[in-house]
Amino acid sequence: MTTQQGSDDRPRTDSGTEAGADSGTDRGVHERAAGNALLRADEVIAGYVPGVNILNGCDFYVDDGELVGIIGPNGAGKSTLLKAIFGLIKVSSGTITLRGEDITGQKANQLVTKGVGFVPQTNNVFPSLTIEENLQMGVFQAPKKFKQSFEFVTGLFPALGDRRAQRAGSLSGGERQMVAMGRALMMEPSVLLLDEPSAGLSPALQDEVFVRTRQINRAGVSVIMVEQNARRCLQICDRGYVLDQGRNAYTASGKDLSNDPKVIELYLGTLAKA
Amino acid sequence: MRRRVAVALATMMSALVCVLGLGAGVAHAEGESIFGFLRNAKGGDLVPVEGAKITVKGPGVNETATTDDTGRWTVEVGKPGTYTVTIDQKSLPKGVTLRNPDADSLKVPVVESQDKPVLFALGKSTRVIQSKWAQAAQLSAEGLRFGLIIALAAVGLSLIFGTTGLTNFSHGELVTLGAIIAWWVSTGNLPLSLPGYGGVNFLVAAAITLAIMGLIGWANDARLWGPLRRRGTGLIAAMIVSIGLSLLLRYLLLYLFSGSSRAYPAYRGQKGVDIGPITLSPADYISMAIAIVVLMAVAYALLRTRLGKATRAVSDNPALASASGIDVDGVIRTVWIAGSMLAGLAGILLGIAQGINFQIGFQILLLMFAAVTLGGLGTAFGALVGSIVVGMFVTVSTLVIPAELKNVGALGILIIILLVRPQGILGRAERVG
Repeated sequence: MTTQQGSDDRPRTDSGTEAGADSGTDRGVHERAAGNALLRADEVIAGYVPGVNILNGCDFYVDDGELVGIIGPNGAGKSTLLKAIFGLIKVSSGTITLRGEDITGQKANQLVTKGVGFVPQTNNVFPSLTIEENLQMGVFQAPKKFKQSFEFVTGLFPALGDRRAQRAGSLSGGERQMVAMGRALMMEPSVLLLDEPSAGLSPALQDEVFVRTRQINRAGVSVIMVEQNARRCLQICDRGYVLDQGRNAYTASGKDLSNDPKVIELYLGTLAKA
Repeated sequence: MRRRVAVALATMMSALVCVLGLGAGVAHAEGESIFGFLRNAKGGDLVPVEGAKITVKGPGVNETATTDDTGRWTVEVGKPGTYTVTIDQKSLPKGVTLRNPDADSLKVPVVESQDKPVLFALGKSTRVIQSKWAQAAQLSAEGLRFGLIIALAAVGLSLIFGTTGLTNFSHGELVTLGAIIAWWVSTGNLPLSLPGYGGVNFLVAAAITLAIMGLIGWANDARLWGPLRRRGTGLIAAMIVSIGLSLLLRYLLLYLFSGSSRAYPAYRGQKGVDIGPITLSPADYISMAIAIVVLMAVAYALLRTRLGKATRAVSDNPALASASGIDVDGVIRTVWIAGSMLAGLAGILLGIAQGINFQIGFQILLLMFAAVTLGGLGTAFGALVGSIVVGMFVTVSTLVIPAELKNVGALGILIIILLVRPQGILGRAERVG
């Protein structure tokens, strides 16, 4: 049985004439668009406890070099989707493929070697380890990569190189976020999953995180970012997903989504109109 | 975090009280008696005094005993109470006198089932009175030895707590197993019959013991704690399981090893070697050297090696460690194997220092917990520092407090230090936000 995407009970946009937000609600469109995707999820059903599904047939894909943002209301399953992709929760139905290879249900440490990096929202550093040791843990499975990757990461975040011997537990939230991103980048992933990287940071630091994310993406890493700060996220994204009740309600370019009246009304708030 | 530590500590302590309660009450019901040996100090030797008369008076008892040819005398008093024991100075042979002629009568309390020893000192004192400083030096050396042995065991306990969150009450039994297996293997008195096996050289036996301890550690994780973890057993439930395992092992060892205390034949009655005011047996010096070398090796491994760093990473954040590509289960397995071997080594060294019995490890469990908590829960270096502090304190404090209270003193200092530094001596307060 196919999932009934875009059925009458879920929000629809009226701007159906353009290749706008509405197009993403059609499974056929997903099928066509995701043909050459780097990473894709098809009709994923997953949750934390048996019988209570958070994701209800979620479709998703990211192309090589793309920066994809996932927004949506609280409880929509944004973080859950990332965790399902990264093998941190059990997927009860559906498939997740990486370059055509089925990776559904594979463990996190296997995915790391296959080029998937993940930065959790909280507790994303090893507090009693130094910055350098945190980055070393990032290449645990390939210690020889350390030197080269360390140069790449400290090139991106110079502060990490200067303070390499400092314990990560003594860093501020923003600094920890850099260590966390740096650690995930050490394995030179082809796709990086970021779970609300700007959460809990000051506006200035949030801005820095978005700039850095764009920078990482420009360096050739595909990025999937889940964000609460929807407006800012859509500004830097190539493409965005709006998740609602465990399904993707819309997908479109970041710009189209930020201008979509229905998305504004439901998820961005009226302020965005101004 | 701090709150979690406090809760863990509170549960740990209350559970410990339960275990102590369960462990007590192994009394044997026999009649009460008062006995003693009368020996005269003469030129450095103790000569038994025969024929001396000693009178015991008390509730319903007025009996006089005469010492036999070994100098021994006994009066069965039959019930608890306070008795007056008087030696008849006229009955002493010629040339034998009480050291203190005024102290010819002593009041002696006797509790239920007690065989109470009473001694009268005869002749000139042979004891060389040591200065307080010499005593302090001697006790410090013994305390250091004790602290190093606790450290060996506590580092494993701390690593297991750090990586899995388990408060392992059966860690004491790992220490006991080390001591007892080494005795079995070295003497050949195995609990199962192995025809033609007559024991081996002690060092070989120790090596075999450590290998077996590694296997026991592996089995602990592979057969019990690993499956419990995968099923999502809570930490409190797991702690209760460890208490059960502790009791099971302790009484299994009581059955197999018996309740008596034994010593390794190779190290029985070694002559002391003096270094300044300190007198320890050669085995003690070697034990301390081994403990220091092993602890330094553990510290190096934790700080510098890839696996050691991964172990600290798993202690910090298992989920993130897994997401970084670290095989968390593999790290925990290694920690169990290494922790059990360290506990086994501690058991062997403790057995050399103070003899072996079926609860040798259980007796230091509380001190291990104190050391781990004192140093900062889950930090291996904290456990090391905490152990030295506890070992030294327990031993040196006997200078000023009665020996029976020495463990109480260690726990007192634990409470005081935690009041001042809730995160422990080496524990670091984490920055929030």
